[in-house]
Amino acid sequence: MSDLAWLTVAEAAELLRARKLSPVEYSKFLIDRIERHDAKLNAFLRFTPDLALADARRAEAEIMRGEWRGPFHGMPYGLKDIVDYAGLPTTAHSKILRENVATADSVVTQKLRAAGGVFMGKLSTHEFAIGGPSFDLPWPPARNPWNRDHFSGGSSSGSGGATAAGFLPAAIGTDTGGSVRNPAAMCGVVGMKPTYGVVSRRGVLPLAFSLDHVGTLTRTARDSALMLDLIAGHDPLDPGSSARATGGYTAEIGRSVKGLKVGLIRHFYARDMEADPEMTAGIDTAARKLAELGAEVREIETAPLGEYVACNRTILTSEAYAIHEKWMRERPQDYGALARERLMAGAFVRAADYVNATRLRRKMTGAFHALFSDIDVAVTASSMDTACRIDDPKALEHTYARQARAPFNVTGSPALSEPVGFSKAGLPLAMQIVGKPFNEALIYRVAHAYEQATRWAERHPAL
Amino acid sequence: MADDDLTLDDVRKMAMEVGMTRLGDEHLQQLLRATRAARARRASLSGANLGPADEPAHVFRLDAESGL
Repeated sequence: MSDLAWLTVAEAAELLRARKLSPVEYSKFLIDRIERHDAKLNAFLRFTPDLALADARRAEAEIMRGEWRGPFHGMPYGLKDIVDYAGLPTTAHSKILRENVATADSVVTQKLRAAGGVFMGKLSTHEFAIGGPSFDLPWPPARNPWNRDHFSGGSSSGSGGATAAGFLPAAIGTDTGGSVRNPAAMCGVVGMKPTYGVVSRRGVLPLAFSLDHVGTLTRTARDSALMLDLIAGHDPLDPGSSARATGGYTAEIGRSVKGLKVGLIRHFYARDMEADPEMTAGIDTAARKLAELGAEVREIETAPLGEYVACNRTILTSEAYAIHEKWMRERPQDYGALARERLMAGAFVRAADYVNATRLRRKMTGAFHALFSDIDVAVTASSMDTACRIDDPKALEHTYARQARAPFNVTGSPALSEPVGFSKAGLPLAMQIVGKPFNEALIYRVAHAYEQATRWAERHPAL
Repeated sequence: MADDDLTLDDVRKMAMEVGMTRLGDEHLQQLLRATRAARARRASLSGANLGPADEPAHVFRLDAESGL
């Protein structure tokens, strides 16, 4: 049953619930697939088949007793290795935290465990969610399943790679300047960064407190919605957590996009920064597809991309340096070169510049969200380029900054990276769908309608 | 000090002042590049549009109505 590799969460959940698929069989199939192929992809930093089989056996016994917990019961998943799983190291892919054993689950882990999920292991990341892909770390960087000479995006690089490779139907990532949506775009999967505060960050190693989001990587929008339903919710012990009620993210899936107003932020990828022509064509074609499906698509303007990025990077590097200052003083040699240089950028940011960035953030956020009085969702680029070669430092440095994701960490808006086809070289193309705060359900409606009309999710890499 | 004028000796002194005393030459070169890049970014922060009463987003929270 090679198709087990490509079951969506929704499909697998139905089979598991109906007892047509055993959680143990499903997990064993994926364990075997990972053991055969991950040596060339490095999606897993710590593969835990024994834990997976224990979870799967427990799920199987419960389902057989008629105690079905819901759509994640018996479902394999993985965690980016900055997310705590009690008893296992949370390394952040860094020598510095190699022995950092988590004493408790993160809130996200607790929720997936309570839902009956099958934990398969910890997934590769860029060092401290900022430095990568790097070859000077204790573990190798994740590679792209569509072409393993290319990188898989980051920093949730293993989460994107494992999902695209058919190792897992779903994975957890984190996003501070685009780190869920980048690997989603590079690997041709769906990456959701929900509204700031919707998912608890407790038990997740921070990169920049006010910009960090926990998100999902899956192969379809419906699966992302199912997973977000599980992990969202108020956490009084997370200072950034929203008190608003969450859930109902699948509620609009299946509804038409007819009559929805879609604002295309074309200046991000056509004027402020010129995307690769194939990427531009992919996004423009996707926008036309939404129009064919009945949406009213028109171009809209917001602040220049460079202003958002400067705001994001000033806040990000300042907050990140505050977290890393002690290690940067005591153990600078233990960082990989990329993480060290990117984190050092915050060492001498003036206090006034940081405060002014947060003042600008407030203004830009208000102005951006005001656009939603005339539109339902916005569409723009995720990455400007397809995945470059993993062994080309100049190309990696060039493409690292060529993205339109950071604006939505600044505004805290929900934003989803959605596959829109492939380049001539066979690498994934992607667009981003952005919504009003707390309106993830509408994003999923648009993404699902697009998926049904295009079927990109049915194409898979040959390993 | 203009961004382009920042030298390796400058960042070495700056690093010492904030307790980064264990940086090797390669690390200091990285710090120089990173600091120059961070200062260059300052030009893209459009502070001219800020009025005296524009508050920071110190505790960043969202609600559906205002976006803040």
